[in-house]
Amino acid sequence: MSRSEQPLVQLPPGTRGRVSRVTRDLTGRTERLAALGVTRGATVRVLQTFPGIVFECDQTELAVERTVAGSILVELDV
Amino acid sequence: MSCPHAIPDLRSTPLLRLRAHPLRIALVGNPNVGKSVIFGRLTGRYVTVSNYPGTTVAVTRGRAQVGAEVCDIVDTPGVNALEGPLSEDEKVTRDLLRSGGAELVVQVADARNLRRALILTSQIADFKLPMILVLNMIDEARGRGVDIDAEGLAVELGIPVIEAVAPEGRGMGELRDALATAARPRAARARGQSHLHWADDTTQRFRTVGHVTLGRFREWLNRAVREPLTGIPILLAVLYVTYLVVGVLGAQTLVNLLEKGLFGTYLNPWATDLAARIPWAPARDFLVGQYGLVTMGMTYAIAIVLPVVTTFFLVFGFLEDSGYIPRLAIFSDRLFRAMGLNGKAVLPMVLGLGCDTMATMTTRILATPKERLIAILLLALGVPCSAQLATIMGILGGISFLALATLFGVVLTQMVLVGFLAARALPGDRSDFVMELPPLRVPRLRNLLTKTVLRVRWYLGEAVPLFLIGTALLFVLDRVGALAALASAARPIVTGLLGLPPKAAEVFVMGFLRRDYGAAGLFLMARNGSLTHVQAVVALTVMTLFVPCVANFLMIVKERGLRIGLAILAFVTLIAVGTGAVLNGALGALHVSF
Repeated sequence: MSRSEQPLVQLPPGTRGRVSRVTRDLTGRTERLAALGVTRGATVRVLQTFPGIVFECDQTELAVERTVAGSILVELDV
Repeated sequence: MSCPHAIPDLRSTPLLRLRAHPLRIALVGNPNVGKSVIFGRLTGRYVTVSNYPGTTVAVTRGRAQVGAEVCDIVDTPGVNALEGPLSEDEKVTRDLLRSGGAELVVQVADARNLRRALILTSQIADFKLPMILVLNMIDEARGRGVDIDAEGLAVELGIPVIEAVAPEGRGMGELRDALATAARPRAARARGQSHLHWADDTTQRFRTVGHVTLGRFREWLNRAVREPLTGIPILLAVLYVTYLVVGVLGAQTLVNLLEKGLFGTYLNPWATDLAARIPWAPARDFLVGQYGLVTMGMTYAIAIVLPVVTTFFLVFGFLEDSGYIPRLAIFSDRLFRAMGLNGKAVLPMVLGLGCDTMATMTTRILATPKERLIAILLLALGVPCSAQLATIMGILGGISFLALATLFGVVLTQMVLVGFLAARALPGDRSDFVMELPPLRVPRLRNLLTKTVLRVRWYLGEAVPLFLIGTALLFVLDRVGALAALASAARPIVTGLLGLPPKAAEVFVMGFLRRDYGAAGLFLMARNGSLTHVQAVVALTVMTLFVPCVANFLMIVKERGLRIGLAILAFVTLIAVGTGAVLNGALGALHVSF
């Protein structure tokens, strides 16, 4: 079982996986993302990476900036 | 097809009884799940409904008859959370629940997003109020392969769970019936779990997601509007169609029909004939003179601005309901970040094109005080409102594309510049850019028409009286010679710096009452040939950058206080005149004549 954990910001469009964790910072980013459903275990699919990052999390489509995408760690589906 | 709803065991006590005041029911839920639609269905009152988060930024109240009882229904701004870091509109909702402003909560959920809804359910449960859960847009959810066991969920939570498709009225009867059996939910706290764990577990138990793809065209469109290669051409096409409907059909065809036809041929001559019977000259002039209520006030309001705002509201409402506008945030995020904002700011900015005053209120969806201040400043500075936009298109579109491009180029540059400086000069931070993209939908004609009619009515109620007051004010100022004095006092600036005819000073006075009123004045000046092309470009640029109208100014004061209001006013005036002077000089030096 080889599972790799990678920040969302590095994933190419089309990648599917599950959120493994969201890096904590002091601005409450983790909580805001959690409220939108981006938490451990949520399924994600990367839709687009330029000019901004767009991904589908559960059934919600979200657009985020790179810094935010950098703090979302994803376990890829193998 | 009927919507089944499940009633839990009979632990709940009936709530609808004789009471001293109407039962207060709050509609609470994630953004853009349809709270306002349900509010409209229950109360018969229409509140603006669109397809993007943040349409409702303040609490709206209305009455509903449920059985024999009258209830107060409260529509609240959407919330993603009720604990942790909250935005200003989220605090509005939390405070309402905390202060006892609601005795019963109807949580509205987008059925596709059960997990997010349940995180919120669990947080609402902590307020210890009886609750009902409405799974709205159940049809869209099924269309995407999402299946929810509503009965099981109702038993688990201990509250009624209702499946609904609010725009079609499905589930509304069940919701009314269920009010009597609302109960306090059993959620995370009751099970000693965290909100998240509980929501995860519960979602897994009661929801299954099949594999369903959207129609091929939808899938393509969804992708096309957000990817730059196709998205930018689509944006340009959208702008062009807007221009055709508003700038050509509204500002040219319909304005001609009304102004030359209705007013020029019929109303104004009739009014003049009628007024001729009034023996007192000043009264005659007051009605039909140069600054006459009919010949100027009504003509401006009805013949010039009305067709323009109506066509604009139509196009704008269509875009709002389609879910397209939030997608512009993807393209504009980087630019906005340079200005101390983030892509989310695209919402208030685009809404400003409808009405800057309303948009100023919408800045509440931005997360930090700094962002709100910058957004309010930029709205006041550069974003032309619908009426103004269309008069700009009407005048400059008739001159040349270059003229139009010059104005927008200058205004945009100025906004970016000011935003860039404000981002560095003002204290505070910007927030992360995280934005939910609502699903793309074909707008419902009924909602589009209702919304447009209401907005037009709002325009008539709000703007027309101000046009008339403004006209009366001009009439008086003219009579007592103040207008001439003002024009000569402003001459060094208006004629000297800006190179405009002295009469333009009047137009700027009108512009403060309402920007579109001023713009309509310029429209007529351009029409009678009292403005050269260069003058038209300069005058409109100054007017666009110029102080916001009275209503917008008052809204800024209401949102941010008098001190900041006055500071913005002074700053914006300075920038407007300065930019106009530079533009006038530059156009002269370059011998541009458009």
